[in-house]
Parts: sequence; C-alpha cells; structure tokens
Amino acid sequence: MKNTRREIQDRSFTFFSSLSIVLMVGALVIILGPMLRRGFSAVFFQGTVEFRRMQLAQFGHGDEEAVADEVAQVTELRQEIYAILNKFQAGIEPSALIDRVRSINREYGQELRGKNIVGADYTELRRRARDLRDLLQDALESTDRELVEANLKSVLQHRADPLYTDSVMAEMFVTARQYQNVIQGIDLSHREQYLEPLLEVKDQLRKLLGPMPGEQAPLLMEEYGATRWDIALETLHDLLWQEQWVTVEAGQELQKQLVRREESQFAGTSLAPMFGLAEDHLTDLLRPKRTIYWHYFTDDWKEGHFFGGVGPEIYGTLLITLLTMLFAIPFGVISAAFLVECASEHISVKIIRICVNTLAGVPSIVFGLFGMAFFVLFILPNLDRKPQGCILTAAMTLAVLVLPVIIRASEEAIRSVPATYREASLALGAGKFRTFMTVTLPAALPGILTGIILSLSRAAGETAPILFTGAVDMGPVPRSLFEGSRTLATSGYYIAVGDKIGMMAPHKQYGLITTLIVLVLGLNILAILLRSRMSRKLRGQ
Amino acid sequence: MTKLSTPAASSHLFDFKGTIESKSKTVTTPNPEQTDICECSVVSAKDFSFYYGKTTGVKNISMEIFPCRVTAIIGPSGCGKSTFLRSINRMNDLIPATRATGILEVNGQNIYDKRTNLVNLRQQVGMVFQKPNPFAKSIFDNVAYGPRLQGIRNRTKLEGLVEECLKSSALWDEVKDNLDKSALALSGGQQQRLCIARALATNPRVLLMDEPCSALDPLATARIEDLIEQLKTQYTIIIVTHNMQQAARVSEHAAFFCLGELIEYDLTPKLFTNPSHKQTEDYITGRFG
Repeated sequence: MKNTRREIQDRSFTFFSSLSIVLMVGALVIILGPMLRRGFSAVFFQGTVEFRRMQLAQFGHGDEEAVADEVAQVTELRQEIYAILNKFQAGIEPSALIDRVRSINREYGQELRGKNIVGADYTELRRRARDLRDLLQDALESTDRELVEANLKSVLQHRADPLYTDSVMAEMFVTARQYQNVIQGIDLSHREQYLEPLLEVKDQLRKLLGPMPGEQAPLLMEEYGATRWDIALETLHDLLWQEQWVTVEAGQELQKQLVRREESQFAGTSLAPMFGLAEDHLTDLLRPKRTIYWHYFTDDWKEGHFFGGVGPEIYGTLLITLLTMLFAIPFGVISAAFLVECASEHISVKIIRICVNTLAGVPSIVFGLFGMAFFVLFILPNLDRKPQGCILTAAMTLAVLVLPVIIRASEEAIRSVPATYREASLALGAGKFRTFMTVTLPAALPGILTGIILSLSRAAGETAPILFTGAVDMGPVPRSLFEGSRTLATSGYYIAVGDKIGMMAPHKQYGLITTLIVLVLGLNILAILLRSRMSRKLRGQ
Repeated sequence: MTKLSTPAASSHLFDFKGTIESKSKTVTTPNPEQTDICECSVVSAKDFSFYYGKTTGVKNISMEIFPCRVTAIIGPSGCGKSTFLRSINRMNDLIPATRATGILEVNGQNIYDKRTNLVNLRQQVGMVFQKPNPFAKSIFDNVAYGPRLQGIRNRTKLEGLVEECLKSSALWDEVKDNLDKSALALSGGQQQRLCIARALATNPRVLLMDEPCSALDPLATARIEDLIEQLKTQYTIIIVTHNMQQAARVSEHAAFFCLGELIEYDLTPKLFTNPSHKQTEDYITGRFG
C-alpha cells in the first residue's frame, strides 16, 4: 500500500543519511586519530634527562641547578656500564694498555730517580721492572692463550712484593689482573671479530646515553643521548638485539632473525652482563619524566628537525596567511559588489562570472607556476629585487588562488540579501553606494565570512603554490617581507621528500601536521564564532 | 535614467526644507471642488503609461490625488496598482528595461524629467512596504536614517525628531524605554509602525503605502488604520489595498484599476455604494477579482 512504501522510503532515507555520517566520522577518526595522537606526542611525551640537558644547553630553557643535579646522579650510575665497556675494549684492543704499561715503566724509572736510588740498585730494579713489562706486554699482544695465562700468572706472582706497594708499578699488577678477568670468555685467537660488534654496541650506547665521558661528538645530534623515552626504548632494543640472517630451510631465502647480543656476539665475555645492567636500570639511567614541551611552538629546530620545535614554521604560516587575506578580502568583496550591484545584466558580467567559477577549480600548482612566472620573475626584477621567492610573492600567489572562492561566496551572499532591504533604504533617499554600505553589506556579512573562512583554511595549508614562490626549507627567521620563509605545510613536504635527519624524528613530522590542523581548526572556530555573533545581531537577538 | 541635479537648475525642484505650508490641521470634508489651504493637487497623472519591456504595467492613467486626503487604490491582482504607486517615487527604476510615457507630476514638477533630483523626490514622497522591513539596526538608528541622509548630525535634534516621529506613529510609548534595542526584536505590527515612523522622519509631503496591513494580524491592522486616520490631517496618503472593507473604512477617495487601466475614480462612499461602471460593481460585489 502507498503508506508503507512512503514509510519505507522515509525510513531508509533516514538510515542512509545517518549511516553516511557515521562512516564519515569513522573515516575521520581512523585516518586522523593515529596522526593526531602521534602529533600530540611531539608536545606531550616522556622526556629523559638528556632532553632536559639539551633544552638547557641549546635553548636555555630549564633550571640549571636541577639539571646539573640530575646529570651528576645519572653519571654516577653510568660509570658502571662504561667501566665494563672500557675494560672489555681494553681486552680486545690492548694497544692502549700496552702503551700504558710502557709508560708505567718509564714513570717507574723517574720514580726511582726521585727516590735517589742510583747505581747497581737502580739498574737491578729497572731490569726487574723491564722484565715484568716485557712479560705483560707479551701477554697483551699474544693470542696464544697458554702463553698469555702463563705470563699473567708470573707477573701477578710479584704482586704482593712490598717493593711495589706504593709505587706506580702497582698499576701494572692491577692491569694484569683486569686483563686476566677480561679475557675469560674471549677467543683470543680471533680478537678482531669482537671489534666490529663492539663498535656497534658503543654506537647504540652513545645514541642511548650520549657520548662517553671524554669523548667528543662531531655532530650536534650526537651530543645528546635519547631525548625521548620512546626513542630510548627503541635504541635499547637495537642495543640488546642483533639482526641475523639465517637459513631456515635449505634452498630457501635467508630469513631475518633477532638474537640477543649477549648470547650471540658476546656470549661468555665480560661484556655480557652489561646488557642486563642497561636493560634493568634504564629508568634510572635516563630518568624519564612526563614532559609538556610548550616551547615546541616557539623554538626553532636544530640539526634538521632533530631537536627543538616548529616556532618559525608557525610564524611563517601565520604571516603568509594574514597577508593573503589582506590582499584577497578587499579585492574579492569589492569585485563581488560590483558584479551584483553595478553591472548585473550586461553580457560581460556573465563572462566574468564564468571565468571566476572556472578559476575556482584550477589546480593549485598552476597558480604556483603563474605566481613564479609573474610575481617572482617579472614583478620583482622591476622593483630592483632579486627574482627569488619571498613572503610577499607567496602571499600574492595565494591571494590569487583564493580570490575566486571569495568572489563566488560574496556574490551569493550579496545577491541573497532580500530586495526589500535595498528598497527601504532607497525609498528614504539614500544613494546606491550608501545603501550598499549601510544595509546590504552588513546583511550579507555572514555569507561573506563563510567564504573567507573557507579560503583561510585553504591558504594556511597550501603547499604547491608557495613551493616556488616563497617557501624555503631552512634559513633564519625572516626579517623582511622580501625574504623567504618556512611554513608548516612545506616543511612537512621537505621532510617527507628527502630530509633523512627529519625522518629519524617521525614525531616531528606528525607534530608539524598536527600543529597545522590545530591551527586551521582554531582559526575556523574563531571565524565561525564571529559569524554566528553577526548572524544573531542580524536576527535581532 | 537617474537624476542629474545641478544646484542652479533643479535644486528648486522638491527642495522643501523646513515647515510645510500644506499641512492642514482641520479635517476637511471630502469634496474635491472645495478649496483647501493647499491649493494644487499633490500628485497628478496625465496620460501616464508604464511598460516593463514589452509588457504593459499601466496605460493612460489620468488622475489627480488631493492633498491631506487618503486615496485608496483597489483592484484585482496584476492590475497595475503597485506599478502606479511605485512610479510616484520612482522605485520602479530599480527594475531594468522599464519605460514610462506621459506626465506624472508631484507638486507640479514632472518627476520623469531628466533633471529630477531623485534623492529629494524620495524624501518628499515616503513609502511603506507590504512586508515590514526595518534595518538590522537599533530603533533609533532606523528612524534617524532618513534625517542623517539629509545631513542632520546634531544628536539633540535627531533625538527630538525621532521622538516626534515615533509619537506620530503611535509607537513611542512602547519603545521609549530602550531605543537602542534592535529593530528586528519588535513584533510585526510594531515593525510596521516603525517603518511608518521611519518614512515620516524625512518630512515627506506624500506617504505611499503598498498594502501595509496584509502581513499583519487584525489587531495590528486596526492600529495601523487608526494611525492612518491620525496621519491624514498632516500628510497626503495613497494606499493600495486588497481589502475593500479597509478601503471603505479609511479612505476618502477611491480609484479602481483593472488590467492596467483606471476604470473609476470617485469619492469612496459613492464608489462603494453606487459605482458608475459595471466592472467596478462586479469587483465590489465579488463577482470577480
């Protein structure tokens, strides 16, 4: 029956419209959710002591005393790890030890002379010391385990000799003893095989905890360890686990497998306990703390987005957007007013309207090329300036981009003001211009504002038009309008396209995009509030 | 087709500032032959025709509107009542591709003359529209809009003028407490009275009313009709209406239009009780229209 068919139609209409809204919201949540979450982690994260150290040294944020305190505490703990590391390194690369042993011998000679022991005693003592030294040196250099063990043993026999108690020779015995411990698990004949893995481990450790005391870091990036807890955990994982390619099945491709280093590379050596130590005490070593990095929005970045914030990008985006609106809004509204009020029926107006509507759909890259050709390569030289992109040309290009949208929306808004408003004003003797300014324009303002809001969001996030007309990927914060600037959108592009360092800090990329989204959202909300206030005033509330 | 007014040539056209002599304080009997204090007819049409492109709006209208009277124009839809009314203050200029022939005079001056000062004309001939259309401003700014156009800036003077006009349109008591309230917050009847006050503020000689009560409820309509009764002692009022009872109530003269032509123009009692033309009789008795 007819009634049920209409009912079915109504119900399914409601159902499908609700479904589409649910799908849209779901898509937004799924797509934006992880991105926003990671972006927020650029500001809300767990920062380690390295982060606080970096903030203080590079940007001057933070309490000097507190940071120094923390660093001191942490350094104490780290000593243990470094000690194990150094000893092990000495064990497989005894060249430093050998040099030290030789210099001990020389110092002993000086010591004897200082004690005024001369003549036959001097020679005898020196001879004994030299013997010890040779024994030890052979032990250090040799890869024959039996020889090494024997030499070390004979050296250590003299350890308790009171002759050497207060002397610098005591250190020789300490060295021998340590070396004895260290070589326990090492395959002496293949000492070199430990070198490369050791360097790997040292690298990871440096990424985790920062440079070892006494080491210099060539790059700014390497001066600090893991600044964020999540990065620290990742680095720890790389430290503890090693990737190996193994044959799982004969004839098949090699498969990647993860094995713990202490079981594969350093099994049985004295370095093995270090891994457990690092793993268990990582919290104490790095002291992660919940951080809200407010300065993210004002700090510049250092070392290719690895450290720091996005301050200059935000500044650039806001500046360019503001300038774009300054150019586009007056032009757009006045053009729309002209099209509606003054020249409504002429054929030329129809042609102009078609052109405007077409321009509104032109791809933004075309505007970028136009901007480069016209503003950068033509106008700038005429103003005696170098033909390179700057904030001014970027803003003008974006203004040309958003102009059609503003014109279209304004035209609609002005046209939709009821004729009775105009008639009332004209009937009182007002002229056309007066009527427009005092009656038509205020009534059309909500619609015009809608067009402005839409183009504001577009201008803030556009990448292609400003790539050649004003955006740069690095450089100082611009001081004049004739310099190029970084912006949120273009920085995101540059990182994605090839900035390897930026790729190492993915939270930065997400942070950039999230900042852009939040910025545009904020601008929109502001403008929507403004528009609703105006609407309410127009309706008389 | 707008005015070109040079001060010397045409500023004397419709240049009535200050007191208007033709305001009569006594109620005169509705006899067009009787000499009034104001002697000449206010609006005079001689063979006036108006065309929208190819369509005829009105054709060969010849009538004289008398001062300090209420003249009602009645007729079926599309007969040209509003066209004629809007021609009197040249509001039809807003519509493109229109043409007027014949003579239409206000206060003795042909308003379709090229030298007419439109601003002055529209300040002399006020208009109230069918749907109340106050501006989205305060009540005060609405009424003061006209005087401000005339160049009156003195705040005290404006306040006095606004008060006078609001009193004339019987709105003062209701809004005097808060003149800064938005005009859109008033009820329909109040808005229409506000529009009347606004039209009065420019000190016009003629008040054109295009179906002023058709968007209002009966109570508000009654108040507007009372208002018209009061105003007619000072202004010349031409009212277009669909409502024949209203026409019979408020007007002294009535004109019946049909299909763009003036069929009959006579004193109201006579037109409604004893019309001369059959078409008028048919319309009034409801046989058509």
